[in-house]
Amino acid sequence: MPSARDPLRRLSPTGGPWRRVVDVARALIGAPDYERYLAHQAAHHPGAVPLDRAAFFAARQAARFARGATRCC
Amino acid sequence: MHPIVHRMLFGIVALAGAICLGVVALRRGEPVNAMWLVAASIAVFVIAFRFYARYVATHALGIDPARLTPARRRPDGMDYVATDRHVVFGHHFAAIAGAGPLIGPVLAAQMGYLPGTLWILVGVVLAGAVQDMVILFLSTRRDGRSLGDMIRSELGNAAGGVAMVGILAIMIILLAVLALVVVKALAQSPWGTFTVAMTIPVALLMGLYLRYLRPGRVGEVSLLGLVLLLASVWLGGVVAANPAWAPLFTLEAKTLAFALIGYGFIASVLPVWLLLAPRDYLSTFLKIGTIGLLAIAIFIVAPDLRMPAVTRFIDGSGPVWAGSLFPFLFITIACGAVSGFHSLVASGTTPKMIASEADIRYIGYGAMLMEAFVAIMALVAACVLEPGVYFAMNSPTALIGGTVESAAQAISSWGFVVTPEMLASTARDIGETTILSRTGGAPTLAVGMAEIFNRVISGEGMLAFWYHYAILFEALFILTTVDAGTRVGRFMIQDLLGTVHAPFRQTESWTANLVATALCVAGWGYFLYAGVVDPLGGINTLWPLFGIANQMLAAMALIFATVCLVKMKRERYVWITLLPTTWLLICTFTAGWQKIFHANPRIGFLAHARTYTDAQAAGEVLAPAQSLAEMQRIITNDYVNASLATLFMGVVLALLCFGIRAALVARRIPVPTVREVGHAIGA
Repeated sequence: MPSARDPLRRLSPTGGPWRRVVDVARALIGAPDYERYLAHQAAHHPGAVPLDRAAFFAARQAARFARGATRCC
Repeated sequence: MHPIVHRMLFGIVALAGAICLGVVALRRGEPVNAMWLVAASIAVFVIAFRFYARYVATHALGIDPARLTPARRRPDGMDYVATDRHVVFGHHFAAIAGAGPLIGPVLAAQMGYLPGTLWILVGVVLAGAVQDMVILFLSTRRDGRSLGDMIRSELGNAAGGVAMVGILAIMIILLAVLALVVVKALAQSPWGTFTVAMTIPVALLMGLYLRYLRPGRVGEVSLLGLVLLLASVWLGGVVAANPAWAPLFTLEAKTLAFALIGYGFIASVLPVWLLLAPRDYLSTFLKIGTIGLLAIAIFIVAPDLRMPAVTRFIDGSGPVWAGSLFPFLFITIACGAVSGFHSLVASGTTPKMIASEADIRYIGYGAMLMEAFVAIMALVAACVLEPGVYFAMNSPTALIGGTVESAAQAISSWGFVVTPEMLASTARDIGETTILSRTGGAPTLAVGMAEIFNRVISGEGMLAFWYHYAILFEALFILTTVDAGTRVGRFMIQDLLGTVHAPFRQTESWTANLVATALCVAGWGYFLYAGVVDPLGGINTLWPLFGIANQMLAAMALIFATVCLVKMKRERYVWITLLPTTWLLICTFTAGWQKIFHANPRIGFLAHARTYTDAQAAGEVLAPAQSLAEMQRIITNDYVNASLATLFMGVVLALLCFGIRAALVARRIPVPTVREVGHAIGA
């Protein structure tokens, strides 16, 4: 697919094949990338102190099983 | 690519698909190779994705790549994150892929491979994938809100409340039937029971590691977990062969049922990081990995299908489940063709990750095509078995007796030649004591998968290893669904009770937590127990109820989608959702009606209750009841099941009325009336 259609190329600067595999594997279990979260925080909330890795992971894990999350048969 | 080359390419795919389908449908008397079926499916999927899905996305939905998605409008780095479409596809597929598309096709194989294949292909293209894509689209336009929420805002509060009750009831029956599948697979199997039990300490270890040693390092801990799991498959064989250890893990179905009920309660009230989450990681990787392996193995082995294209059981007299092809085939294969539960996932986390509306077709429609492909593989795995072995595994003891001799005789009399030696040696090869009446679909699929895997990597005892690996694969992710689903059910109950007594809604309250969890577990535990003691194997009763419920949820989601199309002033395209809605309503109401009122006690709950009431009046005790009190319990179960089917039908009927009303109101207003966010059309 042409990269012009894929604005996300800019979101993953190290978008090599291995990175892709890791991203998909993390997405399978709903454990998003900590570095990307840091980038988001730095870009949008430069003043705020971001969660550390453990706290971020714990928060994401809790959200996956919180109210509103669903399971499939 | 040049447009002419492009068209020629798809022309070739279409032609190849037509030829393959022709072979699958028309060849009789000699075994058909599974590759014809696989190739036909892939061709159908490619054509449907390229043409129909694009038509629906572009014209009916009016996908607008320039419009900001929730992840673009309000990114928060946590839930709302614009994500690469392949990554979202993986996330979405992992969330929708469950036991449903594996079990349904296996049970449907009693009618032959052709009816199931055709329903999967037609169903997914016109109903299942359309539902998933449309709901994903609608939720993306509403900030990723849930189906229940969206129904409330587009159809009114009363409709939202009705949908909430319906979804909870469906959840309960889903958990019960899944738990029953695991109980049936593990009963009297020390190897399977040991291996699956080992997943608990492995998960605890992973949970502690992730919490205290190396937070967030899911990759390395999952690898460690997978190695330990494979070791426990091997160790299970050692345990099963040990005369001192084997009896400890040789459990009756009833014992297993109570163990599961207790375990489900504990697992869903414990902090999720300790047990639930690490099990979820393991089961997800094992699930996706094994599905991938199965696909590769089927391509390498290219097995022949031994099951006939169509069996005599299309008349409804089949031993696996009762009822004729219409409507019961269409509810037996629920998830592989169309699954209502996907509408909950498509309105969950996925819409919050979508980077552009242009990705919705690939993720919504595409992931469902993939799920249908999983269903086709499950059908292949069931149909490569010798039909006699298939029927021995899936027929209840009440029909084939408890010995290989009685089973071989009964099954041969149905026209599927099988010898007692074949049944005994199959059991020996897979490391089990018996294969008779291992109903529920999971063991059958495991034997089929083991046969396929064994032809890629074989050796002394490898068939038994593969069989138990496949059982672990199924049981692990089913149990994870049961635990996590119990939590989901708990929140639903808390919300419902919260409307009566507000403090019940608080997630942090231990009283509310324990009460709601206990209610949820008691709900599915009741149906599980009833299924375990059922003389016809339980699956016979519960699977149709589950199928009806799941398809009805799909009908509800599609009714909602139809109303939205009308409100968007896209009435020209309303047939796209109205067609599957109508078909699902016809199927589920016919099936629901027959499950309640059919004169055959194997199909109708009331007729079954009547058989027992008559016997009770005459002072007789009918098997499996051993006392008049047990007779009474069976009668009560029948009435409970009949009431549940009535409740489902009532919920859908109510939602249909709300939907018709909302659509009629919207038609009278000349401008679009949908409540979208972002750049609302017409605003």
